[in-house]
Order: sequence, then C-alpha cells, then structure tokens
Amino acid sequence: MNTPADHRHDDLRYAEYVLGVLDADARAAVEREIQVNPQAAAAVALWQRHLTPLADDVGDMAPAPYVWARIRDSLQLAAPATPQPRTSLWDNLRLWRWLGIGASMVAAACVAVMFALPRLATTPSVVNAGYMAATITQDNGVTGWTATMDLQHARMIVVPATPTAFVQGRAPELWLIPPGEKPISLGVIARDKPTTIALRTQLLTRLSAQALLAVSVEPVGGSPTGQPTGPVMAKGAITGA
Amino acid sequence: MPVSSSPVEPEELTRLLIHTGRGDQHAFAELYQRTSSKLFGVCLRMLRERSEAEEVLQETYMTVWRRAASFDASKASAITWLVTLARNKAIDRLRQHREEQLDDPLRLEETADVQPTPAADAEISQERQRLQRCLDELESPQRAAVREAFFTGATYNELATRCKVPLGTMKSWIRRSLLQLRTCLER
Repeated sequence: MNTPADHRHDDLRYAEYVLGVLDADARAAVEREIQVNPQAAAAVALWQRHLTPLADDVGDMAPAPYVWARIRDSLQLAAPATPQPRTSLWDNLRLWRWLGIGASMVAAACVAVMFALPRLATTPSVVNAGYMAATITQDNGVTGWTATMDLQHARMIVVPATPTAFVQGRAPELWLIPPGEKPISLGVIARDKPTTIALRTQLLTRLSAQALLAVSVEPVGGSPTGQPTGPVMAKGAITGA
Repeated sequence: MPVSSSPVEPEELTRLLIHTGRGDQHAFAELYQRTSSKLFGVCLRMLRERSEAEEVLQETYMTVWRRAASFDASKASAITWLVTLARNKAIDRLRQHREEQLDDPLRLEETADVQPTPAADAEISQERQRLQRCLDELESPQRAAVREAFFTGATYNELATRCKVPLGTMKSWIRRSLLQLRTCLER
C-alpha cells in the first residue's frame, strides 16, 4: 500500500512538523500519527535529533524566580526553591513591605537595618562589600521604589514605596543604565509588592556608583524591543553600602 | 548550554531527567535550574513576549514532571527532549492566537540577534557543527528561511509574507532544503 514515494512524502511532512512550519491541523495530524505509528514516531525523533541542535544558537535567558515558584505551586511539590534559600532577613517579605512603607524611606536605611542584624554583622567585611542600594524617585520627588542589591547572593529586591496606578495593559519595567551604555532590562516589577530579581554575572559587573536604575512604563509583558519604549517615570543613582 | 555533546553535561541531564521520571523532586528542581535558561531563551525567541514565554515555560516544566518517565535516552538526548517539548508548546501557542501577526517589519531584523555562524563558540556541539556544514551547502535565502522557520515557529504562510516571496516558492525552498539536509546529515 505504502509506496516509496509515500514514505518520502511522509518523511518530509515529519521534517516540516519538527521545523515548525505546519499549520495547527497538519500538526495535529502528525501528532496523532506519532501516537499510533512507531515508524512515524521514529522518523520524527530522527528529525528532532537533526534539527534541534540549531537551538544552540539561541542565547540563554534566565527566567524570573517566580516561574519556578508557580511550577512548584501548580504541581504541589514540596521541592525547595532553586537554589535552596537560606531563611534570612532577605527572605522576610514582611520586613521588606515595612521598609517600603513611606515615601521618605531611603534605600540606605534598608541597608543600615541589615547591618544592624547580629547574624549578618558576624561577617562584616563581606557585608560591607556586599550590598548596594538605590532610591528610585519620581519626577515629583516622591520615592517610587527602593532597590537593594545583595551582591554576594546576586539578587536585588525592589520595594514599592507608594503603589503607583497604571493604565490597563501597562506595567513598570526596571532598567539598569551603566555609564555610557544602553539600558539593560531587569524585567517588569510589581507596582504593589516587592520584586526579587536574580542578577546575572554580566549585570553584577555593571553595578556601580556611576550606574542608574530607572523605571519606564511598558506593556505588561515588558518592552517588546529590549529597550525602553514608554516614558521614564522614576530614576535613581546606585550607591555603595 | 549546547543541545548535545558537551563533555559532561548530557549524562548529568539524562540522569536528572530519569530521576525526575521516578518522581524525584530534587532532581526536577536541579533539572530546572540547569536547563530553564536555555528553554526560556528558546521560548522568548519564538513568542517575543516575556509573560507568554513564562507561561509556556511553566507549562513545559509541568509536562516534564508528568511525562519524564516516558523519556527514552536511546531516542534523544535530555536537552533535545526538553527543547522539543518547549518548542512544541510555543508553536501550539503561536498557532492559537498569532495567525494574525503576518507582516511585522521588525521580524526579519530581529533574526539578526541569533548568530548565523556561532563557530567561534567553544561550547558548540558536534551535532551543531555537522548541521552547520550541511546548512552551509544550502543557498543563502533557503538557509535563512530554514533558520527563520526554526527560531520563530512561523507557518509557510507567515514565512512567505515575511520573506516577501510567493507561498509556493517558500514551500519549495523549505522542502528542498529539508531533503538536502537529510541527505547531507545521513551520509
């Protein structure tokens, strides 16, 4: 029944499926064949081995920490967060919320509180070198967010001082602007609760007292271009702690 | 992380995926830690929107947890299995509600952010190098069309519009390229 020409035609269809050019109906047809026909499954698997190495060309991009949290919650896993968190002051969101209250609260004060903690004070040299902070101020002088960077653990926590209203479909996106460089996206941040951001090595090396943090108004999914597309609503300089 | 053949990683990822299939949550967490940046890069490249890419990444790993037991190391490397799963989810998402985004002038420029010949990268896998040699045998527009198709998950129709060629031309470019690639890769 199946002629060699049929085989060639089928194999091409499997290749098209793996490449991703088929429409929804044709994809569904191939997926049904994979389920019931071992030959089809083997042919598709071979094309996957052939073509998937192309994915090596796509740059890695770390997802936000909350994606893992959502996966854990959805699957109701008891697995730890990755990486395993130490229960520390850093993870105490109530403290961060408290620190975020009040527009006059400057980020340096957050750091001062952290220094005051005896457990952290046991390694003063690390602590001294380990934190940076920024007060991200709106044009009207009101503090929008405070940001504290924990260099040792490569993370930043951004706390809204005054929840800001955004029109439907817009959200605040945080940018790091090293001197003389284009803004680097740190992702969309929450307007009404603290956001923790993992800092990649290339970001860590760009944090300095000359760098700025800025917040622009972007579509909810973040700037589609990788650069700010909306107005800058708040900014602030980074200071060493 | 290369899709295959870096010296240590594949065995480790295979082990983690197999343990995940047995319900080992720590292995699953570690697998996520090691592979999520790769998969998120792929999803973001296809979907262009961070929030959508995050949703697809979440769906992907939830499926990984449920289906890891069906992973067969003799048929695919762990990372190929994972990337395939992520791409399929991303393509399904694109087909659900992106058919309208046909003529976006940014699209072709955006492909420039993917390195066309990443040969300088020491991490590049043997499989990727072999594929590159075979891609290099294709005519330039055909090669560009294959890459665009793989990275964006676009349909024939979308590709034809973006590359400004008739649908029939795009189909024959891609099909001939796939046949040529098969001959080259299997020799």
